[in-house]
Amino acid sequence: MAEILLSEAEKAFIHHGVQDDLRCDGRTRLGYRPIILETGLVSNASGSSRLRLANSDVLVGVKVELASPLSEKPLEGRLEFFVDCSANATPEFEGRGGEDLANEICRFLQMSYMSGDTINLSELSVLAGQQCWVLYVDILILECGGNLYDTVSLAVKSALYTTQIPSIKVATMDGDQPELELSEDPYDTKRLNTQNVPCLVTLMKIGNHYLVDPTPEEECCSSSGVVVAVSGSKKITAVRKIGSGSLHPESLVSMLKTASEVGAVVNKILMKKLLEEETAGKTQKVGFMR
Amino acid sequence: MDMLTSKIFLRKTKRGKVLKVVREHYLRDDLWCGSDLCKKCNQENSEVLDDAPLSSSTLCACPHYVVVDTNVVLHQIDVLESPAWKNVIVLQTVLEETRKRSTNNFKKLKEIMATRKDNFYVFVNEHHKDTYVERNPGESANDRNDRAIRKACSWYQTHLEESQQGRDKKKKIQIILLTQDFKNREQALKEGIPAYKVDEYVKSLKDFPDLQEKLAASHSEDNAENREPLFPEHWAPTRIMTGIKSGKLLQGIFHCSRENFLEGSVSVEGQDKSILLQGHASLNRAVDGDIVAVELLPEDKWTSPSGIVLEDQEDQDPGDQIEKEEALLSNSAKGKDRQPTGKVVGIIRRKWRQYCGILLPSVLAEGTRHLFVPAERKIPKIRIETRQAATLSSQKIIVAIDSWPRTSRYPLGHFVRALGNIGDKDTENEVLLLEHDVPHHSFPETVLACLPSMPWTISQEEVKRREDLRNLDICSVDPPGCTDIDDALHFRELSPNLYEIGVHIADVSHFVRPDTALDKEAANRGTTVYLVDRRIDMVPELLSSNLCSLRPDQERLAFSVIWEVTPNAEIKKTRFTKSVIRSRRAFTYAEAQCSIDDPLQQNELAKSLRGLNKLAKIMKKNRMDKGALQLSSPEIRFEVSTETNDPIDVISKPMLDTNSMVEEFMLLANISVAEHIFKHFPECAVLRRHPVPPESNFEPFLKAGKTQGFTLDVSSNKALAASLDAAVKPDNVYMNTMLRILATRCMMQAVYFSSGTVAPVDFYHYGLAAPIILISHLPFAGLYADLLVHRLLAVAIGADVTYADLLDRKCVQQLCNNLNYRHKMSQYAQRSSVALHTHLFFRHRVQDEDAYVLSVRQNALQVLIPKYGLEGSIYLKEKDEDSKPAFIYNPDVPSQTCGNITIRTFDRIVVQVSLDSKYVQHQKIAVHLVQPQIAGLSVEAIKTVNDSEPIPKKLKAGK
Repeated sequence: MAEILLSEAEKAFIHHGVQDDLRCDGRTRLGYRPIILETGLVSNASGSSRLRLANSDVLVGVKVELASPLSEKPLEGRLEFFVDCSANATPEFEGRGGEDLANEICRFLQMSYMSGDTINLSELSVLAGQQCWVLYVDILILECGGNLYDTVSLAVKSALYTTQIPSIKVATMDGDQPELELSEDPYDTKRLNTQNVPCLVTLMKIGNHYLVDPTPEEECCSSSGVVVAVSGSKKITAVRKIGSGSLHPESLVSMLKTASEVGAVVNKILMKKLLEEETAGKTQKVGFMR
Repeated sequence: MDMLTSKIFLRKTKRGKVLKVVREHYLRDDLWCGSDLCKKCNQENSEVLDDAPLSSSTLCACPHYVVVDTNVVLHQIDVLESPAWKNVIVLQTVLEETRKRSTNNFKKLKEIMATRKDNFYVFVNEHHKDTYVERNPGESANDRNDRAIRKACSWYQTHLEESQQGRDKKKKIQIILLTQDFKNREQALKEGIPAYKVDEYVKSLKDFPDLQEKLAASHSEDNAENREPLFPEHWAPTRIMTGIKSGKLLQGIFHCSRENFLEGSVSVEGQDKSILLQGHASLNRAVDGDIVAVELLPEDKWTSPSGIVLEDQEDQDPGDQIEKEEALLSNSAKGKDRQPTGKVVGIIRRKWRQYCGILLPSVLAEGTRHLFVPAERKIPKIRIETRQAATLSSQKIIVAIDSWPRTSRYPLGHFVRALGNIGDKDTENEVLLLEHDVPHHSFPETVLACLPSMPWTISQEEVKRREDLRNLDICSVDPPGCTDIDDALHFRELSPNLYEIGVHIADVSHFVRPDTALDKEAANRGTTVYLVDRRIDMVPELLSSNLCSLRPDQERLAFSVIWEVTPNAEIKKTRFTKSVIRSRRAFTYAEAQCSIDDPLQQNELAKSLRGLNKLAKIMKKNRMDKGALQLSSPEIRFEVSTETNDPIDVISKPMLDTNSMVEEFMLLANISVAEHIFKHFPECAVLRRHPVPPESNFEPFLKAGKTQGFTLDVSSNKALAASLDAAVKPDNVYMNTMLRILATRCMMQAVYFSSGTVAPVDFYHYGLAAPIILISHLPFAGLYADLLVHRLLAVAIGADVTYADLLDRKCVQQLCNNLNYRHKMSQYAQRSSVALHTHLFFRHRVQDEDAYVLSVRQNALQVLIPKYGLEGSIYLKEKDEDSKPAFIYNPDVPSQTCGNITIRTFDRIVVQVSLDSKYVQHQKIAVHLVQPQIAGLSVEAIKTVNDSEPIPKKLKAGK
């Protein structure tokens, strides 16, 4: 990730701020920066969202495709993540510069969705052992303004929420070949239950305290932290430590506890906002035209 | 208002992927309403809709504009052709839906709109910002379109309202919607849009009482549902598709048998044996040409084609009953010659077109339900409704099929238009041109504009560009009366052992430049069609009979092939050039023959002809030695009365040496050009090939040979030629010709193709025994294919430039496919034209003629009358006629025996030919047996019988 140059004095300032529960931008340790979210702006994707958390900007598109299920999971469809770090975000991403970060995010997302509680993959099965839906989740990172994990996870959840899966019928079976029949009505689609889809919560340790939604400067000051995947039902589905420093077991336990609390709240608010947007009906898409 | 929306739909690809397709859809605010009275729209000179339209409808007396629903266009397109329609608004929604559902009707609608621009207005409602509707969740595409149509109607209403505020209420223009859809009408009425059923509306048009007869029949058949279905149902399309995919069903083109209307076959791609279908239930409403899905019967139920000749001969309307067919079919020989047999389970695509024919006289002349008999024997009769039966019964009419419900014995159709009186030559000509899809309208202005202006002379620059051959003694040899002389020849001695010969072809490509209107028209027509009394030109007459006709003593542009040959006809050198020539004389075949034979004629031309003739004979012999076939089909010519244009005599075309001389040189030119072009353009040369026929094709031929005691070898073209030459019987001279006729029928159709699409091994021309050949058709400029060849050759010799389509393999193949089709149709048309004239010829005479038995069937003899090239059937038994003598059929020979008289294939008999005019409406040539005399069957010879040869002994009663 892009390194920011900070003087010792600046670092000390941030440290002291965190200690006094008043961060540079006026937040408390558990406060988030403002989030802007819009869904459905990529018309040729089955589901899409764009999420902006302060200066972090992410665009997610979900594409559904028919494929044969994995042999070990004949009754389930699957999700595939792909992260692309645009060189728009920082010049370092140019060429293959962003690949490491992309893979890191990708793997962690895959891991956090692996738990059976997050998403019911059997909903994606079309014909046991023969055909299933595969959701390709393409994530494009347009700008890095800190706390990338959280930003990405929220955007992915929103995109999945809006994803429309065409309803398909198995018309006839003939020999071994299923004949699939696509509904003629483009509105005849089904949606995934995304209630329990996890949100990632990044907790950064600065001094003796930890904080959520770090800015790039804060990230720079911290030597260690955790990213916790919290499902809608407050369950932790995946944890990952970041940074080179160490964590005391005691503080780790307390961090996980806090993360699950924060994650539950974030989840709830996101679901509420998504529902609000949906019921508002068709509105003019804003997209990037602001 | 947002002016950009998007249309989103899902599509499944062939490989099973589901795609989400998004199309941007832009809306506009500058689409005008097209009404004369509108003050709001900025339209200029495009007002189609009248300011104050007159209504001739009693249903809707106020002035109105008509909006038609898609179903009206789909089902009642023929009604829309009438001039009764004025002020019609055609919505884009309707156009698009029509295009999706029926390309045929779409084309027709386009034509109607093009010819009647002042009455039909297309409103692009899908792009108008106020009339565009988006599909709602849960709404079917159909409902959405209906809604779009209604929305457009109400928009028009409010839009026009503003411009006619001051008007009297009775004079205000209404927008009325015509639809067949009950739901749409209900909904429209609910929304305050006046809506009517189209038949209701058409019937109310008091100025056009005849129009209602063109209404398609399907809707007046309401009570049909209650009746017992006569046919098995057709499967649902998805079921058929899966069946075909799994191989349980076969897909193919249905061909009805010419001889038996209850029999047909389906040719499946990739299978050499076609599938036999027998009986009403198995045919299951398939009409000749349809693409059908067939299910094979278990092997123990397979049968063979029945030997009987059966016509749907009801002279009266049988109603909706199917006659007992067991008797008609029962005799198909079980056990041997069995063929895969199946039944039709569904129709994949109907290939219905409009059919020419006549009305069957109905018992109830005042009735409205009548049967229509198509001219094409393979098409079933069609049930139509008309109230003009009395007037139509003496006319040839055109009818279109609308549907064929399970409950109806015959397909239901409607009357389209009348062509003219039956028996009228013009009418009959029109019929045969229509039936064979020959484009015969006069050339449009755009095409005529491409012609050079008259008087036309060859410019000096043009002469410079070409080789000047005006000094050569060139002459042409053609049939008498030929006005499109497209080839000419010359011959001169360079040295005692070296001759120069040249073939000069009219340079049509000079006048028909690629991509002009003229070129497109010619490409569509494909070929010039020669009828007995008429020629349908491919290019306008100015070209075909003047500028591209190598008239004597006139300078013409030509394409020349010039060879240097030894006296043994060995070619030393070949070259091609564009040239300027002046023909010295236009010979007829007979005149040329005279010049050759008459030793007194020693002028240059006569000498050249002799030289040419000599070389031609050597070349022909060489070709025969290589295995070229000499096939035969009877060709006749009519002597036509100069006053009435009716045929007064028939003569077979004589074959003179000069005929084959011209043929031989054309063939030589052909092969030389083909080789040259193929060398330069291996990917896109336009060639012609004559595929080697599969062995099974020869079966009837071999069988026929066997009855006469000849073993025929069909293993190669050379062997075939040799065994044909050997099969001569001194007592039956015509037998050999008959064999050759039969052999011709076993051949495959020669086809045009683009060289890139076929492997070079398949280039071989079977009949001519040439390894590579162009358009082997001898009139050299009457075909569009020749034009392509000219262009290719011109490029090859650097005389012209190429263009993209010329070298595009696909484009060329597409052209070739059209050419093949047109060529086939033109040949059929030619044949029909001959048949028509034979018909006219016999109108006032009865004649006894020699005839030969072509084939022996279970209940009939097929005979050929060489003098007229006419084929006919003599029925030996009829269903319920006991009066005829009992014939015993022996299918192994095959032969028919009655008492002590046996008739076999190729036997010579005498028949009486006359025109059976039992019904004025349905005249046909009748053939009756005269000799051998069989009581009860044969007829008395008429007095004027002039044949002298006695009947060969073996036919006579005796021992």
